[in-house]
Amino acid sequence: MNMKTVTMHINGRTHQMAFAPNVTLLNALRDLGYTDVKSGCEKGDCGACTVIVNGRALNSCLLLAWLAEDAMILTVAGMGTPDNPHPLQRAFVDFGAAQCGYCIPGMIVSAKALLDEISEPTDEEIREALSGNLCRCTGYIRVFEAVRAAAQEISKE
Amino acid sequence: MRDFDLVMPRTLSEALAAMSASDISVQPIAGGTDMVVDVRSRRAKPDVLVALQHIPELQGVVRENGMIRLGARTTVTELLQNPLIADHADIARQAAQVFANPMVRNLATVGGNVGSASPAGDIITPLLALDAEVELLSENGGRKLSLENFLVGPRKTVRRLDEIIVALRFVRPAPHSGHAFYKLGLRQADAISIINVAVLLERDGPLVGDVRIALGAVSPTPIRAHQAESILRGKTFTDSEAREAARIASDEAAPIDDLRAGAEYRRRMVRVYAERMLQQAWSRAR
Repeated sequence: MNMKTVTMHINGRTHQMAFAPNVTLLNALRDLGYTDVKSGCEKGDCGACTVIVNGRALNSCLLLAWLAEDAMILTVAGMGTPDNPHPLQRAFVDFGAAQCGYCIPGMIVSAKALLDEISEPTDEEIREALSGNLCRCTGYIRVFEAVRAAAQEISKE
Repeated sequence: MRDFDLVMPRTLSEALAAMSASDISVQPIAGGTDMVVDVRSRRAKPDVLVALQHIPELQGVVRENGMIRLGARTTVTELLQNPLIADHADIARQAAQVFANPMVRNLATVGGNVGSASPAGDIITPLLALDAEVELLSENGGRKLSLENFLVGPRKTVRRLDEIIVALRFVRPAPHSGHAFYKLGLRQADAISIINVAVLLERDGPLVGDVRIALGAVSPTPIRAHQAESILRGKTFTDSEAREAARIASDEAAPIDDLRAGAEYRRRMVRVYAERMLQQAWSRAR
């Protein structure tokens, strides 16, 4: 099977790596060290692997790496640092929105995609935007509260 | 995941040439929301995947004379956001709203949902209600046929191995038609349909004009409930006629037991939701 070098721009850094055709963006990101992107169902049902590619939130388990050639990709780790977290990251911590934590990277990325499009979302819009991110621990309440709080924080800036 | 070659044509003719390779399994891939899952589960065993990313002829939603043409690569998100769909094919927008989840909607395409031909394909049902046609193309030429005739069984279509779906087209429904779509699932989002129902009807005072009732996930393919439609077409709309049409529709369904629901439950839900959607479409029609 032939390998091809793919160029991707991830969290502001440009990477080039050779992949086989059957490697998904999820595998590629994790091979490149972006283990903040989680593997859940690998079927597009759970949203754990959500990343933003060229401005659109999508399941990285469904996109073949070759098809992400020259793409601008954002993962949760690229949204902020421990010293300078993104308001969403800070809100998720402040509101105790994480229990086991596994769904959280996907939740935060989906929330970012929402706030990029709608700066003051209604509760219904928040639920809709996160409807592809499944959580078995929290019951979603604090996740929604965190997103609401972060939206207010961001719109004040 | 299985090894395969991935070809990434830049033009339509490159894509058709790639599809025409004969003695190996060549399959198209658009958003990959079915294909990648199917390759991983070994349901699909392609030797070559032909990626349709960059083919301009497959993009776009346009109004052509009295028709709306959806390029095969139209994503479900586009169905949700495109004003032409909201204005002329609201039933497709309603289906897009409850399709999978936002991330999958960004990738999944109309051509892919039709080509995969899942009995529960949520975009297929509204397209049947819109009486859509499928446009197919290969190196040997193109052809058009009704979506109803294109689907022949669960995940089976009459697409020849060298053909790709280029577009779906339908006659614009009359402006004041009533559109109603319902999807019953085990969750409010991110679910496979237990049943789905699409009703599109025209109103002429107290009379029903044209009416189409499409049912999904209750037959080997999504279907039109033609017998149910025939008792309403041209007649006065009454609650009892709607109820009777829904009963006939539920008899036209041929549901099975599966891990999501039982056949009897599905049949009963067709009866309930066909009636509700008929009432809803009627109240929305002018």
